[in-house]
Amino acid sequence: MGALAASLMLVIKSADLFVDNLIEIGSSLGISHIILGVTASAMGTSLPEFGSALIASLSGSVDIGVGTVIGSNIWNIAGILGISATVAGGIGTSKEGLNRDWLMTLITGLILLFFMLFGDINWTASVVMIAAYAVYLWILIKSQRKKSESTFKPDEYFKKDKIPKENSVDKKKILFALLGLAGLIVGCRILVYSGVELARIAGIPEMIMGLFTLAIGTSIPELVVTLSSAMKGLHDLSIGTVLGSNTFNILIGIGVPALILGVPVERLSVVFDAPVMILVTVLLMVLIRTGNMELNRSGGIILMGTYLSYAIIRIFILS
Amino acid sequence: MYEKIMVASMGQYMDQIMEHTINLLKDRKTEIMGIYVVDTSVPFLTPKKVKEMMITELRAKGQEILDQMEKVFEAPGCDAIKFKKILAEGDPADEIVKTAENEGVDLIILGTGKNIVDKRLLGSVSEKIVHSSPCTILLVRTT
Repeated sequence: MGALAASLMLVIKSADLFVDNLIEIGSSLGISHIILGVTASAMGTSLPEFGSALIASLSGSVDIGVGTVIGSNIWNIAGILGISATVAGGIGTSKEGLNRDWLMTLITGLILLFFMLFGDINWTASVVMIAAYAVYLWILIKSQRKKSESTFKPDEYFKKDKIPKENSVDKKKILFALLGLAGLIVGCRILVYSGVELARIAGIPEMIMGLFTLAIGTSIPELVVTLSSAMKGLHDLSIGTVLGSNTFNILIGIGVPALILGVPVERLSVVFDAPVMILVTVLLMVLIRTGNMELNRSGGIILMGTYLSYAIIRIFILS
Repeated sequence: MYEKIMVASMGQYMDQIMEHTINLLKDRKTEIMGIYVVDTSVPFLTPKKVKEMMITELRAKGQEILDQMEKVFEAPGCDAIKFKKILAEGDPADEIVKTAENEGVDLIILGTGKNIVDKRLLGSVSEKIVHSSPCTILLVRTT
């Protein structure tokens, strides 16, 4: 348990270090701040899930990898948004951002379910998933560019004294990015290993370990960002973090491992976990629509109840 | 008696707070300071870039709120009021108290804020200010 908690901390902090320095390096190389900003927010909170899924798949514990991704997505919507709406009293939404991100999350879930129906997720599915994510990033960048034409001031996002001249990459940044990446790889390896061992000792399936323990653990960044931004009234950031993370988790978290080696699919995931993931995505929209474009406290409680029911059925009845 | 007044708002209940302020003071020669505090605190494990984005968003939101206040306090009929905007950063309660001290404010106007459930879950900026304010406070009962 100690190794699991320590590796989780290492993974989250390393992901942060890696993304921070990667963005600074990108900025030094003259990559648009808009592209960097969109990528930072897309990757920022999702690297722990991606790293764990990739390392788990590469080390032969595919169930834990797929479980972490699907479990994270169910937890992100039903657990994290449920808790955030309940604590903050409500999360408002803007129509344009919600429609775009929610629709993409739903399509992503359907793409995954579609390929799952054909058995293992192979490289064909992987190419479709990665291409779909590239399209989504392009849409995000386009939308941010449109928004920035009137409001975006790069100097406010990137302090003047922090913008190095183009093509003068600070070696320290490269070193820190590499350190972050190394920490991420080592941390994910220990995390997956301790997860597998803990499952063996406790006599529970690896899939359950991925779906719940690792999924909730690797989603800690999403929880802190979603909850604190909901409490500060930054509603778009709050709901956008969750929906963006869910899209990334599937298209990249499953898409990239599937490109390297086929990801086998458990029958229970096809008939229960993936449909629940799609169901909570639809439920979220229903609750927002009935709450007059706001996920209110009652909606939050319904989402938390849904997660609790899912966990009970999955752990105690179906396993 | 009240010549320098500070109106604090985090965005919520702003209309109610300003309505009360105008009602009480529009004919008096007063200096009103609108203050919005960008809450820079984030929980442990928040990614650094996300924290920067949050602060940028909050600054923009604060500016918008202060601009709205300016429109109301500088509207025709409020000629006696001299309005000033203050955008601070830090812990909201601490910053409001510190600014009130530095500016020699006679009265702070703010909302009672949340209901009992929200106060338990989120804490209350108003309650903190009540305990450490250097001057009189007018708490507008917000609903």
